[in-house]
Amino acid sequence: MSEVALPVVVSLQKPGRVSSIRYFLRRNPRMIVGGVLLFILLFMAAFAPFIAPYDPIKVNIADQLQPPSFQHWLGTDDLGRDVFSRVLWGSRVSLSVGVISVSIGFLVGVSIGLLAGYLGGTFDLLAMRVIDALLAFPALVLAIAITASLGPQIQNAMIAIGVVAIPGYARLTRGQVLAVRSSEFIAAARTVGVPPWRIMLRHIFPNIANALVVQATLATAFAILAEAALSFLGLGPQPPYPSWGQDISYSQRYLANMKWWMSAGPGIAIFIAVFTFNFLGDALRDALDPRLRRSG
Amino acid sequence: MTRYILRRLLLMIPVAFLVTIGIFVIIRIAPGDPVLTYAGENPDPVTIAAVRADLGLDRPLPVQYAAWLSRAVQGDLGRSFQTHQRVTEAIIERLPVTFELGVAAILISVTLALLIGTISAIKRNSAVDLVTTSVTLAGVSFPNFYLGLLLILLFAYVVPGHIFPPGGFTPFATDPGDNLRRLVLPAITVATASLAVNLRQVRSSLLDVFGQDYMRTARAKGLHERAVIVRHALKNALIPVVTIIGIQIGAIIEGAIITETIFFIPGIGRLAVQAIPSQDYPVVQGVVLVSALSFMLSTLAVDVLYAFLDPRISFGSAEA
Repeated sequence: MSEVALPVVVSLQKPGRVSSIRYFLRRNPRMIVGGVLLFILLFMAAFAPFIAPYDPIKVNIADQLQPPSFQHWLGTDDLGRDVFSRVLWGSRVSLSVGVISVSIGFLVGVSIGLLAGYLGGTFDLLAMRVIDALLAFPALVLAIAITASLGPQIQNAMIAIGVVAIPGYARLTRGQVLAVRSSEFIAAARTVGVPPWRIMLRHIFPNIANALVVQATLATAFAILAEAALSFLGLGPQPPYPSWGQDISYSQRYLANMKWWMSAGPGIAIFIAVFTFNFLGDALRDALDPRLRRSG
Repeated sequence: MTRYILRRLLLMIPVAFLVTIGIFVIIRIAPGDPVLTYAGENPDPVTIAAVRADLGLDRPLPVQYAAWLSRAVQGDLGRSFQTHQRVTEAIIERLPVTFELGVAAILISVTLALLIGTISAIKRNSAVDLVTTSVTLAGVSFPNFYLGLLLILLFAYVVPGHIFPPGGFTPFATDPGDNLRRLVLPAITVATASLAVNLRQVRSSLLDVFGQDYMRTARAKGLHERAVIVRHALKNALIPVVTIIGIQIGAIIEGAIITETIFFIPGIGRLAVQAIPSQDYPVVQGVVLVSALSFMLSTLAVDVLYAFLDPRISFGSAEA
């Protein structure tokens, strides 16, 4: 009786989502550092009403211009308001401006880029000229012009920074779409009659999402910095509501009296928030870019 | 090359046209009425109408735009509502101040970026490299207006001797020494953010170049390491750096707006910031227009320089 070689069946278990994430994080430890920093920031913003030891806008003249102490970790301002509490509440403004303005830029910019890259022709030509016109402005100059025009309010700062972010997304998306559009899987989808909007959303978008996620993270860093700059110039949220940029601007008058703590809290807070998003953006780029991944 | 530059200049015209429309619309959608700012206290309707006609705001928007554009192309950007000074004149008066600040900032930024970036790339993954890359990331993340205030605090109130005055401006022609001393702190403030970007670009460009075959050949020929780096590596690595410096012009203009405000420097950035609260349309329009056009022209200059520096890029292909 001849021996029959039976096929060996090895059951390969597909790695679960949790183990995939764990593997991804193990390979990219900087993502963990960035993630932890981001979590702390979000926690501070979300729970500011519970963490803040004092009311950020309540005037308490008896405690005015106190240096940092156990009672007031970051000191008090000229109206006796606790700087630490104002920094915590200010994080809500900065992060919400960052997230909402980046969402505006993302939605509009990615839509324009997808349509321009996929449809091409006249739409592409016209859309890209408008994008070129937006790119012709230095970003902060445009944001200042829009906010100055719409009025100094937090919502207008969000719109202004969102508009400024549009060209970056549109250009990036268009470029990525042009690279993916000629792929075989897109041709196959077209051949079987998949409608264009579905090709864009279900076939192209997931393939260009990595680059957009990186761009969104770095754009959030810019948005926080831009909001702080607008607030510093008096174009963001108005007093007495706490805002990092506005608080630094307000503290200028006490600089000569060496009341450095009034600006130190919001200044360091801006730095940590922007640093977190820049750090996370860099780590994401390294983790998601296959060329950088290979070079290690 | 002339054809390429002319073609690029022609392509700039429709974009510049869209830019002017954008500026005009942005400024005019402001909710307040600037006439009320200039009509005095409790103005009667006749005064309001007279001021509106005087400022040219009684005409339909397209007519106002056409009038503004036709004058703007002749170099007349109107008169300030506030001071009645010609906007072109106000900008020309202040432009050299902003230009001087920008040049000083670029010089600081590029010199330090070349020096530290090269050391960082040569000593890749060393302690020096680690410190440099960390400082770079910190520099990008630091708000320049806070840095400006810290520098003022440090040099005005902590460091004795008032080496660098905390603000103000002295024209170079009046007192060159005082002009330069007053320029140091604002220039460092503007330069910091762009230094971080330039440094990162120098380092990564050099690392790319270090892996090229011609570097191995240069070393195999027995060239001294310094010659290999300066003549072969830096020369090639600088090409993308030129692009980055060009892009930095926008950042310099942005930085100047904030920095001039902090340091009381009479440049065009401060002019715009002072005009915003009083809705001085012509001034804001003029400054934004000049900023956008300077940015566009500097981008063009960089593209031309880039094609000139890198023989692999033909002017034909660069047009695309």
